[in-house]
Amino acid sequence: MSTVPSTHRRGRRTAAALAVAASLTLTAAACTGQSSGGQGSTGSSSAPVTITFWHGWSQPNELKAINANIAAFEATHPNIKVHAVSNVTDDKINQALRAGGDNAPDVVSSFTTNNVGQFCNSHEWVDLDPLLQKDGIDKATTFSKAMLDYTNYKGNQCALPLLGDAYGLYYNTDMFKAAGIASPPKTWTEFEQDAVKLTKSSGGTYSQLGFMPLYHGYETTTEHYAAQFGPTGWFGSDGKSSIATDPAFAGALNEQKKLTDLLGGYKQLDKFRTTFGDEFSAKNPFETGQVAMSMDGEWRVASIKGDGVKLDYATAPLPVPDNQLSTYGKGYQTGTIIGMAASSKKQAAAWEFLKFLTTDTKALVSFANAISNVPSTLAALKDPSLDHSPAFQTFLDVAANPNSNTTPATPNGGAYLVTFQNLGYKYESGQVTDLNTALKTTAAQIDADLAQAQ
Amino acid sequence: MSNVATTPDSADSGLTSKPARANKGVPNSSAIAFRKAKRRRTLEWIAVHSVGLAVALVFILPFVFLFLTSVMTDDQALSSNYWPTHWVWSNYRAIFDVPGFGTWWKNTVEYAVLGTLLTVVSSVPVAYALAKFRFPGRRLAMMLVISMMMLPPQVIIIPMYLFWAKQMNMDGTLWPLIIPMAFGDAFSIFLLRQFLLTIPKEYLDAAKVDGCGELRTLIKVVLPMAKPAISAVALFQFFYCWNDYFGPQIYASDNPAAWTLSYGLQSFHGAHHTNWNLTMAATLLVMAPVIIVFFFAQKAFIEGVTLTGVKG
Amino acid sequence: MSLAPALRRKRRKELATAAGFLSPWLIGFGVFFAYPLIATVYFSLTHYDGFNPPSFVGFKNYDYVITKFPFFWQSVRNTAWLVVVMVTLRTIFGMGIGMLITKIKTGGGFFRTAFYLPYLAPPVAATIAFAFLFNPGTGPVNHYLADLGIAHPPGWFNDPNWSKPSLVLLSLWGIGDLMVIFMAALLDVPAEQYEAASLDGANSWHRWRYVTLPNIMPIIMFAVITGVIQTLQYYTQAIVAGQVASGQIGGSGQQFEPGYPNGSTWTLPQLVYNIGFQRFDYGAACVVSILLFLIAMACTSLLMRRRSGLMAED
Repeated sequence: MSTVPSTHRRGRRTAAALAVAASLTLTAAACTGQSSGGQGSTGSSSAPVTITFWHGWSQPNELKAINANIAAFEATHPNIKVHAVSNVTDDKINQALRAGGDNAPDVVSSFTTNNVGQFCNSHEWVDLDPLLQKDGIDKATTFSKAMLDYTNYKGNQCALPLLGDAYGLYYNTDMFKAAGIASPPKTWTEFEQDAVKLTKSSGGTYSQLGFMPLYHGYETTTEHYAAQFGPTGWFGSDGKSSIATDPAFAGALNEQKKLTDLLGGYKQLDKFRTTFGDEFSAKNPFETGQVAMSMDGEWRVASIKGDGVKLDYATAPLPVPDNQLSTYGKGYQTGTIIGMAASSKKQAAAWEFLKFLTTDTKALVSFANAISNVPSTLAALKDPSLDHSPAFQTFLDVAANPNSNTTPATPNGGAYLVTFQNLGYKYESGQVTDLNTALKTTAAQIDADLAQAQ
Repeated sequence: MSNVATTPDSADSGLTSKPARANKGVPNSSAIAFRKAKRRRTLEWIAVHSVGLAVALVFILPFVFLFLTSVMTDDQALSSNYWPTHWVWSNYRAIFDVPGFGTWWKNTVEYAVLGTLLTVVSSVPVAYALAKFRFPGRRLAMMLVISMMMLPPQVIIIPMYLFWAKQMNMDGTLWPLIIPMAFGDAFSIFLLRQFLLTIPKEYLDAAKVDGCGELRTLIKVVLPMAKPAISAVALFQFFYCWNDYFGPQIYASDNPAAWTLSYGLQSFHGAHHTNWNLTMAATLLVMAPVIIVFFFAQKAFIEGVTLTGVKG
Repeated sequence: MSLAPALRRKRRKELATAAGFLSPWLIGFGVFFAYPLIATVYFSLTHYDGFNPPSFVGFKNYDYVITKFPFFWQSVRNTAWLVVVMVTLRTIFGMGIGMLITKIKTGGGFFRTAFYLPYLAPPVAATIAFAFLFNPGTGPVNHYLADLGIAHPPGWFNDPNWSKPSLVLLSLWGIGDLMVIFMAALLDVPAEQYEAASLDGANSWHRWRYVTLPNIMPIIMFAVITGVIQTLQYYTQAIVAGQVASGQIGGSGQQFEPGYPNGSTWTLPQLVYNIGFQRFDYGAACVVSILLFLIAMACTSLLMRRRSGLMAED
């Protein structure tokens, strides 16, 4: 299921220097790697092969970074050519792999982890464990644990992490100063107070908004909020939805609603939202100064740099409920995943490419730096050339925080998140008032959808 | 009721003659009554035309706004100043720098032209047979044509998709949309058949007396007479293909190299969703061919629309 | 009786010729209509994800779609709302514009073109344009409404209460097809009937009520029934409007939210797409298809009965 309106996307722009550096280091790195050409562990062929690689990156600088990686791979694997198709969504991956024709890809990546369950369960994506073992890669000591968790489904490691995303708070330091706020909010109460202090409204609209709380406000999705409220899990041990039983979910919905009302109410905020520019452009409301605080992913650091906007800002972990202060520092985390199509007839070459992208330290670090993403291997995380600027460090810390939270894979993809988000829309707009009943109905819905998918 | 469609020209003559004739029937024996009637007519003229003008303005305004926005700067397009401060004609050039825009044009033209040709060639004989042949089951055949015409495409889309994707290996292309048009299009068959009914039997009989078989009769006699209906069908089909969104979304969306303008425009908007100036320039460019074709073929078009509804 | 063999031979020959002419359509009918209809019924009884082979599950999909799938009844309600409101308003408005155009004596060509042009705008383009014009925050419509002193103009495509009326406005803008049909029908009303009515001292209302209306009644019926069928297929505008207005349809990784806002623009055809091509539950999607088929065929049979003209022979 893939109608999740969330936006796991990488940074857009990167300095030209970084890209150049990236391709240099990649070429250097390639010399130390094995260059087995088209030879793979599951077969061999000396004839040149062209594999098709689908990914979701679309902005010019993201493309530059991924293309640099591809070029580095091709340089060391002269028998393999990579045909890259950009800007692909999960719907299309699902559709093409089912059709399995000549246009279907060999290597596929996705920005969301939501569909891992579907990809693994349907066996659309090949289980990579045998290949890892054959090539002597110990996944436990190679990849970070959290990322390994969201790339497998019931023990089927059908995907590997390719960089990760963590979510935090971006705040405009000039506006903080003007409002007399000394430090970023740690608790939800402080957050609400600051948001109000930072809001200037007149005549039904805002000249400055402290924070855009609505679920359509780009990254302010239900699952990103929920991560701050520390749910023990989205599903109980019986596999049933726990949104009605775990108080974290009701808490998240209620606090968001409270914030919405404090800042002028749903209608006024939603109208203001329609004046926002593109999320992935210099017209992002945080970059234009329309909002003072923003819940966003780590890639925004690179975006702000690349967009060339003059903006004094800093980052911090997102606030937590007042009674969970000890867990401050946590956040939502997810990442890009990559896998191999079961329908591919060039699996040996596909695996070489996939292995290069996910395990080559130099490739990962330069890619991570270029698009401001969290690296996915332990070696890359420790690499000295990894960007450790304060703004970015926040997200490395969130990613490493044991209390950080992700959304589990299910056989019907992110359907449960869509269902939950729909409840969010109805609750924030006042269409639903009895939250407890609505949570129970929604949980029943999630269970029914899951049963249908089996 | 005649079966021949009313053309814009006859509409015009009707406009001027009919009320006049109606008024002649009104006995106006005195000059005062005559003047009264005249004043009433003047008032009616003013009322009708001002209402008409107001409505026409509302109909045209969206185009005006689209155009004005399309030549604005990026920043102005989000502001509430609706007259361009700088006329950025280069927006129309910038659109063609969007990766894929050229491909979408090529694909759309291909789909529309091939689809139209195949539809006309395959539908004319069927319509002719349904209109002029006497054979058992032709009433049933006509009912089936109408049923096909009325069937929402979504009803059969799942098996159709699976057929084209799994059996024919054509997922990611426009062929699943083009090929079926070689097997008759229900709407075109219906429309052509309605028109062919109006051709007097005597013409066909005359051709047969001259020794023409059915095929030659169709080509020599029927085709020239059916030109208006054929052009209407061709236009409708062309526009249908040009505007089609659902078909390309199902079959071609997972291969950007096969996207059409309608599908591409939507994704273009997705990727640049607040570059309203560019989006509006692209929107107008997608509309342009349809509108140009319309101006050249207005008559055939309006005849066609009339044929679908009024006659039979 | 001696004529019989010759007649039979002639009949057979006629039938063969007919079959020859009909052959492209006969193949099309079989492959693109009869087969998929039967297959739809078959798939509706299976669990099929397009990857693993279909497995027979009886009426489980029906149970799921009708009693458990949350958007099903919402889509039915939305579709019904659109059928009632959109079809009614389009018919009335199309008739009104048709009447207006027959009364216009100066500049008829200009008016006809102005009223007709929007009908030609490709649906995707027209919908994106409307979503821009009616954007509550930045669009000109609300800007001018505010100038007119309307303090709280509607949220149009962004407000669940206004999204369907906004779609209706969009459909009224594209009234061109109905306008032409009504225009032609109005011009076809025999002038003698008006003359006779006037002689009887009928005023303009009576002339409309007793002459115009009965004459154009078949066209009204036609407009209503084809309108219903068109509305059952209503897809592109609803899906595009929702995507554009939600502002959340970026390219990569991001998918749109059907039915935005708050499910108010879900329609049955969208449901087929969503279940089939986003949830990849082909079986359940076929259930919606079958329902749609039943409704459409009910309307079609109504059309064939009421408008015997459709089936006219000569």
